[in-house]
Amino acid sequence: MSFVVSTEHLSKRYGDTAVVNDLNLRIPEGCVYGFLGPNGSGKSTTMKMLLSLIRPSSGTIEIFGEPMSRHSRRRLLGSIGSLIESPPGYGHLTGAENMRVVQRLLGLSDQQIALAVDTVRLGKQMNKKVRNYSLGMKQRLGIAMALARQPRLLILDEPTNGLDPAGIDEIRQLLRRLADGGVTVMVSSHLLGEIDKTANMLGILSGGQMLFQGSREALFTASLPDLILSTPDPRHTRSLLNSAADAHIDGSAVRVSGLDSTGAAHLIRHLVNAGDEIYEARRDEQSLEDVFMHLTGGGEL
Amino acid sequence: MQALRAEFIKLKRSLSWTVVFLLPLVMVLSGAVNTLMAGEQPDDGWHTMWLRSAVFYGLFPLAVGIGILASLVWRSEHQGGNWNALMSGPTSTWRIVAAKAGSLSLLTAGMQILLLSSVAAVGKLVFGLPGMPPPDYLGITALIAVACLPVAVLQSGLSMIFRSFAVPIAVAFTGAGLAVVLLLAELPGLVWVFPYALIGRTTQLGTGTFADSGHISAVDVLTVLGASGLLTVVLLFGSVAWLERKDF
Repeated sequence: MSFVVSTEHLSKRYGDTAVVNDLNLRIPEGCVYGFLGPNGSGKSTTMKMLLSLIRPSSGTIEIFGEPMSRHSRRRLLGSIGSLIESPPGYGHLTGAENMRVVQRLLGLSDQQIALAVDTVRLGKQMNKKVRNYSLGMKQRLGIAMALARQPRLLILDEPTNGLDPAGIDEIRQLLRRLADGGVTVMVSSHLLGEIDKTANMLGILSGGQMLFQGSREALFTASLPDLILSTPDPRHTRSLLNSAADAHIDGSAVRVSGLDSTGAAHLIRHLVNAGDEIYEARRDEQSLEDVFMHLTGGGEL
Repeated sequence: MQALRAEFIKLKRSLSWTVVFLLPLVMVLSGAVNTLMAGEQPDDGWHTMWLRSAVFYGLFPLAVGIGILASLVWRSEHQGGNWNALMSGPTSTWRIVAAKAGSLSLLTAGMQILLLSSVAAVGKLVFGLPGMPPPDYLGITALIAVACLPVAVLQSGLSMIFRSFAVPIAVAFTGAGLAVVLLLAELPGLVWVFPYALIGRTTQLGTGTFADSGHISAVDVLTVLGASGLLTVVLLFGSVAWLERKDF
């Protein structure tokens, strides 16, 4: 498999504190890589190292198969669009003037600029000063600036921060569309739900260390959400299950932990055969915190 | 060149233009008011007019003006995610530094042209001086613009390093103060290598003030050009090296 981004033992220390510790990132081409972790877990620092905004304390970075360093960065950065921490933009200029700065600096065509602006649907706001933009508009302008160079790799740090639900959904669709168009996207968030549905690869960071890296399915297997059964009489349902099942009554439902798909099928068949009525069987909505609990086996965040 | 054009887009609606227009005009006007208050006329015509405008301007206000312009052109880069965006693009560190210093130098050159224009306008309108300022002043104006390059690069570098608006301007003040000491001490060597003193010395060319003989020799001109060129290159390299190593 070819990786657009791969790091070997990537670490960043400030004094005695390791902000990023021994990271081996693997981002396959054409995927949406969800980079998850609570605030302060080292996501931004990692992304900044990938862009050579920060030099690693140790370890190596390869992007498009080439080593990323201060020496090689400007050449590689021509194919990488990014948005790190707060969105860029000159407040005293209009959106259009800001895009013109990008156009001049990168030597882009009018069409490339127009395409980027269209992609983030900011066309109607281009003659307004960026100072008067909402956070969501600034965020979208920042993405347009990152997209204008038509990058092969897009690195976005918490792009949904401060956006309303409609804005978040719009970003999700945008990322999906870009990935369908062949762009590799790395996107960070501290909320699983926000990128869970968009990302097909996930990396989970805690305290600067990678807790998990792999596909959504693999994560699901590594950290099974509880199965929740709605039945007319939860007490009766509980009594029908053998004592080995990790099940307990939760309000008007029975919650069963640690069941994989086959286990769930067995359990439901058993209950139906025993004459129980099942209104609904579903997997619990998992928060990132829940996943952490599972992955760390007790949950220190 | 493209990076320089990008810089000029950023200068839209910038306060810098006000500084470029007002500073030389105020300097020339205050020189004229002083002359009028003393009930005098510029005895030596354009020479007196130029001397009273340019010499004081070159001692303090010019360096501080460049400092203010530098802080103004860098201010927006320190806001939001602009540093991250600038440093995570394909534009080389060299071009980023050179474009900023270049736009600042062009603004500074504009200030010199306005100084000469203001001298001409005030000389004609207030004192009714005959003819136009001698063409020599055009050459001196160009030389001042060149002599401003090292200070422009230095102040640009300081405003790049310091997020604070005021710190680099305070440095310009201090630098100009030291320059006055050097110029009063009439130390010929040091005056040419200390950027703030270099602009002061250049504004005095042909005026006969401080250590100036009143005549501009080819050696003077070559010294200004050589010193400016050398200091500019050294300071540019320093700025680029700093930015290239900097972590964000």
